[in-house]
Amino acid sequence: MSTAVVDFRSAVRLAWLLARPGAAGGSAAGLPVLAFGLVTALLLIVLAGALSFFRWQDPAAGLYQLLAVLALVLLVLPLLTLGGAAARLSARRRDDRLSTLRLLGATPSTVGIITVLESTALAAAGAVAGVAGYLLLAPLVQLIEFRGAPIGTAFWLNPLAVAGVAAAVVLLAAASAAAGLGKVVISPLGVRTRQAPAKVHWFRGVLGALVIVAGYAAVSTGYASAAIAIAVVLGTFAAGLAVLNLLGPWVVAVLGRRQLRKASTAGKLLAARAILESPKAAWRQVSGVAMTSFVAVFGGTGAALAGSSPQETMGPEQFIAGDIRTGILITIGVSFLMVACSAGVNQASAVLDRADLYSSLDRLGMPRHVMDRARIRAVMLPLLLVSLGSAAVAALLVLPLAGLALVMAPLSVLTIAACLAAGIGVVRGGLWATGPVMAKVLEPAR
Amino acid sequence: MNSTRTGSTRYTPDAVPAPGPSAARMTIPAPTDPAASARAQHPSSRPVPAILSARTLTKTYGSTTALSGLTLDIRAGESVAIMGTSGSGKTTLLHCLAGIVLPDSGRITLNTAAGSTRIDSLNESGRSRLRRESFGFVFQQGLLIPELTALENVAIALMLNGLDRTTAEQASAGWLQSLGLAGMEQRRIGELSGGQAQRVAIARAQVTGAGVIFADEPTGALDSATSAEVMQVLLDSTTGASKTLVVVTHDDTVASRCARVVSLQDGRLVGDSAGGAR
Repeated sequence: MSTAVVDFRSAVRLAWLLARPGAAGGSAAGLPVLAFGLVTALLLIVLAGALSFFRWQDPAAGLYQLLAVLALVLLVLPLLTLGGAAARLSARRRDDRLSTLRLLGATPSTVGIITVLESTALAAAGAVAGVAGYLLLAPLVQLIEFRGAPIGTAFWLNPLAVAGVAAAVVLLAAASAAAGLGKVVISPLGVRTRQAPAKVHWFRGVLGALVIVAGYAAVSTGYASAAIAIAVVLGTFAAGLAVLNLLGPWVVAVLGRRQLRKASTAGKLLAARAILESPKAAWRQVSGVAMTSFVAVFGGTGAALAGSSPQETMGPEQFIAGDIRTGILITIGVSFLMVACSAGVNQASAVLDRADLYSSLDRLGMPRHVMDRARIRAVMLPLLLVSLGSAAVAALLVLPLAGLALVMAPLSVLTIAACLAAGIGVVRGGLWATGPVMAKVLEPAR
Repeated sequence: MNSTRTGSTRYTPDAVPAPGPSAARMTIPAPTDPAASARAQHPSSRPVPAILSARTLTKTYGSTTALSGLTLDIRAGESVAIMGTSGSGKTTLLHCLAGIVLPDSGRITLNTAAGSTRIDSLNESGRSRLRRESFGFVFQQGLLIPELTALENVAIALMLNGLDRTTAEQASAGWLQSLGLAGMEQRRIGELSGGQAQRVAIARAQVTGAGVIFADEPTGALDSATSAEVMQVLLDSTTGASKTLVVVTHDDTVASRCARVVSLQDGRLVGDSAGGAR
């Protein structure tokens, strides 16, 4: 029998043995299950909503279907980010047990398999909860009106599609847990992260700027064919989102270095170092709001544009302006929900990861509020910067299309401002919600 | 550069003056500060009184009794090793003495020139402040902040007390240098060996000029040669400067380096090299 098979069998047996609650209580397992449940439920609702538009066959339906696919793409990316965060949380939550197994002679591959199995099991539990959530919420979502009628029974997904989404979430968890293992060293003496902080190259900044300039030029050019113009606009939109992901970590790293130089208090120093420890991770925590801000500018301008149409329309077209507004609100609302959950899950994960450290800092006499302020600052500072920055990038790209008057129209400005405020608010709320996790971590020291 | 303890403040301005709210009253002790601390704490007292006094401490965790009516005096400037088997209550005793946990009953008093403080009657924030300002800690794994440099790990203890960063880092660099870590100030903790990391922890424990240093298995994760080296550094920088050192250990070699050894069993004091069990 090959070594790999023996490793797998012993890993399965050990994973089963370890599948009982640890000293950290149910929260360590409960959080990832909750997050996976939310990811599954939202994925199903978003997918069901988008697919419900494909029941129409008339000429105007094409626009709805295009926008539905666009919303789906916009929401799937942050959903995958949240799924990844949940997987990392589930993989890191029982480091102590894993290092003990290494001490007892378990091979790195055995420990790796156990971690992946545990994450997969938690994701499966979450996926089941998520399907239940979808079924429970469906009657409410079905009431939302498009084209003057509730979505109704068109919202129900094929059971195979439901099973497919649940399976995809479980697979995502397994893949993310396996990828996450590469970033830690589970040794017999504990779990260490890498020794050197991740570097983010300035080249990202240059490349990002070039893409923005190219996008601006592309949308400023006149096109003979409407199809080409739509393709250019959608391409620019996608490029804008991609550039945000490219620029984000670099901008966050620049911010971190600046904050480190200026840090005058213990809390500010800790926050700046936490950002610089992994600018990519810091970006991941706020990328949802950056994306939402970007979408809000396009959406706000789109809503203003839809509302400014002077001619009276009849038939299916009469609902387009209102439906676009509804779609934008739903997209932004779902996006915020995911952002808040991502912030909460990431922070809970960060606090649990550093439980020993926080406990020792408490013993040294570091006040709880200093620890809290440092971790809140490490999220809120990049958040403010990237949400405003991404709104500015979006405004730059939308300006040649819509003109200054529409970008600055009251409805547009109101949508953008409300989105920014809500985005910042939900992330702060997500951080606030992790307070009990911190209290739990400090409890044994008291 | 001697540092002197006065009133409720911690150090007289004989070293680097520091701006800031509470820091205005504070100066940073020099790394090599022979015999100043205890003299300063009790300038005219002979014989040396107990700097920490515990009376009939009891502490239980569920059905487990960790401390059972334990009484102990620790004199200023002495090094005390607390020994005992696993579960004997030695770490709980250290945690009670340091104000990390409260005993269920009994008294713990910190006596300094500023007066006496009943640690067991302080609230959480009061005990937090006491730990920050009056005590230093060295843990088994150092428990340093991984993303900070060695210098920042030491400086943060002073910054928590209100010192500005520049002054805090200057003082911390002096401590690191005196503990043989010159040139390693900008290294992150993961880039240091176990012994070097423990020296950073020792510098962090002492940079505020704390009169009492608590060490919980400070050499537990080190090989024997590094362990002896770290213990020497710890003793030189504490009792060598007339500070008080309280070490929890199960290692006879470590205990033998201390002036006094007390032994615990089932939460009771069963041996005291300074005068028998109570």
